[in-house]
Amino acid sequence: MAGQNGGAAAKGWVQCEVGRFRLETDWEIAPGQVSVLFGPSGAGKSTTLRAIAGLLRPVQGHVEVGGQVVYDSDDEVWIPTHNRRVGYLTQQYGLFPHLKVTGNIGFGLKDRNSAASRDRISELSSLFQVDDLMDRYPWELSGGQQQRVALARALAPNPAMLLLDEPFASLDAELRRVLRRELRAMLAQTPVPVMLVTHDREEALSLGDSVQVINEGRILVTGDPLEVLGQPGRGRVARLVGVENLFDLTVQERNPRDGIMICTGQGLRLEVPLDSHIGGGAVPEGVRDRITVGIRASDIILAKNALSGSSARNQFQGQVVSVESRPPGYAVTLDCGQPLRCHVTGAALDEMGIQAGQRLWAVFKASSCFLVDDGNPPDR
Amino acid sequence: MARLNAVNRLTAHPVGILGGGGAVLFVLFIGLPVVALLVRAAQQSDFLGAVTGDVALTALRLSLLTSIVSMAVVILLGTPFAYLLARSDSPWARVVDSLVELPLVLPPVVAGVAMLMAFGRKGLLGPGLENLGITISFTTAAVVLAQIFVASPFFIRAAKLGFQSVAKDYEDVAQTLGVSPWRTFFRITLPLAGPAMFTGLGLAWARALSEFGATMMFAGNLTGETQTMPLAIMTAMDTSLDNALAMSVMLLAGSVLVLAVLGLLTRRRWQGR
Repeated sequence: MAGQNGGAAAKGWVQCEVGRFRLETDWEIAPGQVSVLFGPSGAGKSTTLRAIAGLLRPVQGHVEVGGQVVYDSDDEVWIPTHNRRVGYLTQQYGLFPHLKVTGNIGFGLKDRNSAASRDRISELSSLFQVDDLMDRYPWELSGGQQQRVALARALAPNPAMLLLDEPFASLDAELRRVLRRELRAMLAQTPVPVMLVTHDREEALSLGDSVQVINEGRILVTGDPLEVLGQPGRGRVARLVGVENLFDLTVQERNPRDGIMICTGQGLRLEVPLDSHIGGGAVPEGVRDRITVGIRASDIILAKNALSGSSARNQFQGQVVSVESRPPGYAVTLDCGQPLRCHVTGAALDEMGIQAGQRLWAVFKASSCFLVDDGNPPDR
Repeated sequence: MARLNAVNRLTAHPVGILGGGGAVLFVLFIGLPVVALLVRAAQQSDFLGAVTGDVALTALRLSLLTSIVSMAVVILLGTPFAYLLARSDSPWARVVDSLVELPLVLPPVVAGVAMLMAFGRKGLLGPGLENLGITISFTTAAVVLAQIFVASPFFIRAAKLGFQSVAKDYEDVAQTLGVSPWRTFFRITLPLAGPAMFTGLGLAWARALSEFGATMMFAGNLTGETQTMPLAIMTAMDTSLDNALAMSVMLLAGSVLVLAVLGLLTRRRWQGR
């Protein structure tokens, strides 16, 4: 039963209007692949999912689920939600409060009392480890248990596509990790295309096979999660995915032999990679001397003394301005003429005794700096 | 123990003390007439005879029959209507909404006169209905219409609030699970809104049973045809206080029964708190 579904890719494009909000998006997801829709709230993520599920009617578009056209504005195809075979998981679980766990998981099964249905319910309940809870009502479950039941319920009728709308947003970090693992394991067994909405970078990185960054109803970039979220090439994307350190600098000297250039500005002097592959391959229009450089907070090493004889090309001394908890570690802000945000683990924080007022060195490699193609100066 | 502490803390508060005094007064104020009615009825020589008397039984039968019919109509037509009101965000829905609640504030006598002007023999629709061979005013049908008019808002209001409390998310998710909108309504929406609807139904039923003014105006006071319990009680007051007392006790018992059944039906077994 489980093997029959997920044979076809999920693909399509839609244009939607909700009040004044306009959304334009497209996607193609292979079976077993997770495509992450990443962006701030109000970007159009949930609207996209609702359009695919048929809970919202687009202005125009074409949607295919499980090899079947479920919406096409030109051919006037409109298949209602209950015939689309999409599994849909919302932020607030949406477990039916008047039904026990069994009733919830089996809700979408035809002929719920048949032997096949009972088998399916017990198969899923053991897969998600909720078989001890079958006689409980949703309010008697913890957040993680509720979400497991919701996942099992969504999978029970063998959907041809899964739509997950920030499914783990209200769980704590540890539980989120566990459930992500379970979701991965489940996808290995039942390969369906998954569209996952999130604004959590870690979630996007750990679950996504590809990521689309969306803002104000437009897809800004589609690509590999590590590339797009790790070293985003474009200014707006960099801000959306939360690059902690961005500096506007002027190029002083290019050194093609070493593949680096020296830039100054905002009280800093940085060695950064040469700008020949700005924006991950796109050739810039002419050479610009005003550039924006991004550095991830997790790429910066904090040291008590200057590192002599190291390969790192960038070293700055500064005073610790603040130390904030940022699970699983800490965010330290160092004033080096410019605030520099660095992420450290709790162990490192304790061992070095980092506290506000202390003078430390920030060290990072030239290759940790990436150029952000700010075609248009961002509105700050 | 914890509950006792909470009560102690509350009554230590100045408003709590006032509230306690108010509670005592209210219990006496509402309880005393009820007790008086029961005591006085118990003192009469032939209580059982009066209860099982012709006048009482005829009125009781009519009251039950008409209120059951009117409640059936209210449920069948009011439920989809209340759902529409709950889910619609059009400005017209709000206009209709306030119109629906008009009977709550309209004096029943005025409602009766108004219905007479609409459906009575000389009313707006009267001649047309007469041509079709239909007479409504001063028939049992008029009793039912009067009850629907005054009682339906209690049900529609409660059902609307009940439907509003059912998050749209539940209905959306149910449909993604392959369940049609129609079946979703019966499997999700209705069970979740059920307790609120039963509360409304109980109030509407009580209101229909006690209907007096509109019935008097629009349906009259004909024994066996339009004379419901309240009308029979008023009529009996002129001739036999014993009969009036007996029927009053019967209606009182009915009200208590409605309260008790409501308490059972509105208990949500799926919610711990």
